[in-house]
Amino acid sequence: MSRLYPRINKWTIPQAALAKTVAAVLPTGLAGRETGVFWLGDRSTTATVRAVVMPAGQGVEERPEQWKVSPAVFGAVSLWAKPRNLALLAIAHIHLPGIPAELSWADRNLSVHVPGILAIVIGNGGADHHHSRWGWYVYNHNEYRKMTSSQLRDRLAIEPFGRLSTWRADANGVCEVEF
Amino acid sequence: MTEQLAEEMKTPDARRTHEVRVTVEYLPATQPFHYQYSRETTIGTVQADAMSFFGVGDHKDRDEHKFFLEFNHQRLMNLSETLHQLLGEKREAEFHLVEQITPGGPSK
Repeated sequence: MSRLYPRINKWTIPQAALAKTVAAVLPTGLAGRETGVFWLGDRSTTATVRAVVMPAGQGVEERPEQWKVSPAVFGAVSLWAKPRNLALLAIAHIHLPGIPAELSWADRNLSVHVPGILAIVIGNGGADHHHSRWGWYVYNHNEYRKMTSSQLRDRLAIEPFGRLSTWRADANGVCEVEF
Repeated sequence: MTEQLAEEMKTPDARRTHEVRVTVEYLPATQPFHYQYSRETTIGTVQADAMSFFGVGDHKDRDEHKFFLEFNHQRLMNLSETLHQLLGEKREAEFHLVEQITPGGPSK
């Protein structure tokens, strides 16, 4: 790993980030479409999630078997995030009922590929509330690898009162929202 | 005297006036790419340098992965355009490196 992508040994995740993620994705899941959110925060040996950003609207496609975020939305999020010293830490998305909470071939390949980034899959259209039921993957050595239960215990720290903000992003920009 | 030699004989201050301070950000990275370029540098050169810095590259597997720069919410497609053509007399510019993935296979 490099100074650009510092090695992450542990992720500190506010409990609110888990709850807000479910709150953000569940309505779309109930409507039978895939969706997801970005987690951004401080990237260091212990990475801390500070913001949940939901891409929605212009530049975002939510379909029954595909959630697609355009480069324009990534650009808008980057423009907003960098002055705040936030880096992309994770991309969480849902799979609809009947589809395992595991990364598909497309998820593995049509996503961001940098060391240490997390890919999280929430099953049952976002209705699987507890994060222990989610699929957690980390990208290293040119592939996403599923984290085991013991790795999750060792490397995830859920903070009851961690500071967190919630945002909505489209191709035009990012604005603070409640969800 | 060649143009290059003539350029080298100018004072450092004079040379500096022809430079553009470029910053390129990449969302997953913790630090930006910084470099000073001459105004005649092409967007393609800046993009290639930034991609090298961030350790990413265009490639094709079942899908096509292409990176490009964004400036003021606009995707920069003309890689032969110079910084001067893009920026005019501005001496600083911030770009964002983003990835376009074009699926080549089934989505699931």
